[in-house]
Amino acid sequence: MVTSPVKLWRRQKNTSALIGKKGKILQWTLIRVPAKSFMDQAPYPVIIVKMQNGEHTIGQLVDWQEKDLVIGKEVVSVLRRLRTEEKEDVIYYNIKFKPL
Amino acid sequence: MKMQILGAYSTKFGELWNVSPRTLAKEAMENALKASGLKATQIDALFVGNMLSGILGNQANLGSLLVEELGVQIPAFKIEGACASGGLALHNAINSLKAGQYKTVLVLGIEKMTDHSQDEITTALMAAGSDEERMAGATFPGVYALMAQAYMQKYKATEEDLAAVSVKNHYHGTLNSKAQFQFLVTVGDVMRSSKIADPLKLLDCSPISDGAAAVVITSGNVAKKVKKPIHIIASEVGTDTLSLHDRKSFTSLAAVIDASTKAYKKAGIKPSDIDVAEIHDCFSISEAIATEDLGFSKKGEGARDIAKGKRTLFKGDIICNPSGGLKSCGHPVGATGIKQIVEITEQLRGTAQKRQVKRARIGLTHNVGGSGAIAVIHILRS
Repeated sequence: MVTSPVKLWRRQKNTSALIGKKGKILQWTLIRVPAKSFMDQAPYPVIIVKMQNGEHTIGQLVDWQEKDLVIGKEVVSVLRRLRTEEKEDVIYYNIKFKPL
Repeated sequence: MKMQILGAYSTKFGELWNVSPRTLAKEAMENALKASGLKATQIDALFVGNMLSGILGNQANLGSLLVEELGVQIPAFKIEGACASGGLALHNAINSLKAGQYKTVLVLGIEKMTDHSQDEITTALMAAGSDEERMAGATFPGVYALMAQAYMQKYKATEEDLAAVSVKNHYHGTLNSKAQFQFLVTVGDVMRSSKIADPLKLLDCSPISDGAAAVVITSGNVAKKVKKPIHIIASEVGTDTLSLHDRKSFTSLAAVIDASTKAYKKAGIKPSDIDVAEIHDCFSISEAIATEDLGFSKKGEGARDIAKGKRTLFKGDIICNPSGGLKSCGHPVGATGIKQIVEITEQLRGTAQKRQVKRARIGLTHNVGGSGAIAVIHILRS
């Protein structure tokens, strides 16, 4: 199903403020059987991050190596293309995390 | 107000490619009615538990559609609460009886999943998660895997301890002719199965299934004719945040603790009074955590107690998932909550045949939606 461009536009207004924030891995898993739009990225880690302000968030870890998959590992939020879109979809960029 | 189950029936669960949702629903409804000794004309309303008919089948208005199959024009409702849709439909049906609006109603749980590919199902099921989880590329096995990691670290539990849940439930499934998988698996089989989301492997996960189950419940006096009516003595719901990461604990489900605490209080019993329980073991970790949240095991001991045989037929104290659970009996998501009620009804009536729990008098069902965003607990008594 094509995601509404309006929905993406509404969400993206807040994205730029979330770039470059640091946090630590609180928990991780390695997704090997993903949803359809993430198929070409598998396997990839999904992490729960404790941000410096104490808030918890969930995100995908990119540019990773196996040694990065440890609790307490420092990560930083970056802007990345989210997923593989369907033909008529708007290309969507969102926050992901990379190891520091 | 007395609330009784008059008739209960579950279809076979599995890959039922030759059966349509209509046919599946009809089989469950007709046989539940037959078991109750009532006719469709004696039913006041139909409650349907279902999650995915809109997303996968492009079919909304499920209440009206299925009432057609019943052959009567009565009020009908579809109730959705992700994988807890079945339990939630029953809870709403019970409330309608308590309100005095209806006296005798039919509650159906149904899901048709195997017509669709694995990635379509994985995507569709994530509709029960949050936007943040979907944007992170998380899947349901992934979210439960995060809980499993946290649980294993906190309580020094092993992947083998979790595998014991699947081994037990597959053993129980061999005793259930309605189960999707009627074969044994070993701890080694689970450990060697392909990884889905670390540390969860294929044999830690419940399957994609088709199936339907139905019960007839009443608050009236029609129950006289039924030999062994089963009483519903508690029906409670709890909720929590949609996202796992927003919760205080990743190793316990607050919705389950809330709903079960209320249910035990309503029923006037304690966890140790339960003889048999149907647990929402969508993943091995789920049953380990559930047995702790429900008060059957001490915190951190749930998985090890299962590995020791404390939840196994013919040797445990509180028997969990005699049907084979979601893992072995199958998990057609909307049907599961009602199938659990059907299983406990059979156990309390003493008609569970090869998998009969001896002297079962009080039973519990534990039905969970999402990663614990909703939980429905029912307690039944013979």
